[in-house]
Amino acid sequence: MDNNNLVIRTKVIRAVRDFFWRNGFIEVDTPCLVKIPGMEPHLNPFKAIGIGNDNGYLITSPEYAMKRLLCAGWKKIFQITRSFRSGEIGPTHNPEFAILEWYRANADYKDIMKDTENLIFDVAKRVFGRVKFTYQGREVNLRPPFERLSVIDAFEKYAGIRRRVLENEKLLRFAAIKKGYNITKNMDYSDVFFLIFLNEIERNLGAPRPTILYDYPISMAALSRPKSDNPKYAERFELYIAGLELANAFSELSDPDEQRARFINEQKLRRRLKKEVYPIDEKFISALEYGMPESGGIALGIDRLVMFFTDAREISDVMFFSYNQL
Amino acid sequence: MQTSEFKKGSAVKYNGETYLISDFQFVNPGKGSAFTRTKLKNIKTGKVIEVTFKSGESVEDADLQYKKCNYMYNDGVDYYFMDNKTYDQFSISKDLIGDYADLMVENSEITVVCVDGSPCSIQLPPKLDFKVISAPPGEKGDTATGAVKPVVIETGATINAPLFVKEGDVIRVNTETHEYVERVQQK
Repeated sequence: MDNNNLVIRTKVIRAVRDFFWRNGFIEVDTPCLVKIPGMEPHLNPFKAIGIGNDNGYLITSPEYAMKRLLCAGWKKIFQITRSFRSGEIGPTHNPEFAILEWYRANADYKDIMKDTENLIFDVAKRVFGRVKFTYQGREVNLRPPFERLSVIDAFEKYAGIRRRVLENEKLLRFAAIKKGYNITKNMDYSDVFFLIFLNEIERNLGAPRPTILYDYPISMAALSRPKSDNPKYAERFELYIAGLELANAFSELSDPDEQRARFINEQKLRRRLKKEVYPIDEKFISALEYGMPESGGIALGIDRLVMFFTDAREISDVMFFSYNQL
Repeated sequence: MQTSEFKKGSAVKYNGETYLISDFQFVNPGKGSAFTRTKLKNIKTGKVIEVTFKSGESVEDADLQYKKCNYMYNDGVDYYFMDNKTYDQFSISKDLIGDYADLMVENSEITVVCVDGSPCSIQLPPKLDFKVISAPPGEKGDTATGAVKPVVIETGATINAPLFVKEGDVIRVNTETHEYVERVQQK
């Protein structure tokens, strides 16, 4: 906790709100306590016991509710809310954190890329009056356009892995073993992908310009839709600034059948990982059946954005009280 | 050992070389399973590399031995010790001692860490007491909580301490972070 950082935190949050209000977005506030949490196999929601005879859960992100609003006809929405993820604590993680999400109907991830760079540039100018920052010794210029780098090009450029290899699980495993990684049978494609990504690629991202890393292999699509011209890849991007992972965005999946199929897969994976398996959120699916416009959406970690602006090494340096300070 | 058993200071073999774990943290890349990011310090060269393992992965561990030694002095490059049992003298380079270097008091007992018999690092207790040898007077009126000033302790290291700390005080310091913990009451 650092008083100066906290003053910056409140100013950044206010500037973020102003940016969206000025640009015609409506601020919404959907619940943090829900009946069915996010199904994401690698996230662990907190259970809230004792709601009548039921258990509730704290959200890991407000995305299901916000997408239901898109189905109900809302066009441009945003909110800054709290999300909760069990087991996530460390220099860049606190179990409770501030998340910014925004969605645009009749848009895709490219529109969200533009929003993202405009937002960060605007906040920097309004709060600090400058666009050049240093984060942990690395200089970053926030003037748009940000670097746009496809996952394919990032693997080729920083890890020497060709597209043909990246697209083939066997070849990728073989390449990783040749590089000296300890690849075991129980590792799946995304594990091998992230081992190479975290060891060789991530540290190069986000300086001297922020990096928008886009088009993930379809197996890592999460809630994004396949690229229309190449269904092996999903329209998803992540934002990196000076090595910090700040945001994750999608051209949102709006097909209810595909969504149900992905939920069923995630249920299977949760079972295999011996995690609690949640029922499918039928209200969410039926909202998609009613019809969701083609939309783009994003989740951005506010605490990490403040870490960047204050050159803070740890997330606890920018929170009023981190969990460990309670 | 498994990644969940990682501790700061434990020794692992990686690509045929032995390393001490100097730092580690959990990372969840977007929508992926958990990984453990480590900083590994080569016990021969002192060079630090960053390696990320998949959480749950097994990593070969290396055996460490600890021995009590007397830290004698340093010449700016090497730190000289004497084994309290055998009276053997040896040195460890500053690169291997790393961040602990400026918290070692000459002629005090220190635990030396060895791998396969060769000294490669030292261990300090998590908190240690040091005498303050120089402290600028705190500025009047500046009583906001959290206000600090730099003070110099007996090893020559500079520590940020609260404004009330005076020359001659003994303060407790976190040896990992070099942060002030508390002022120690002297008898």
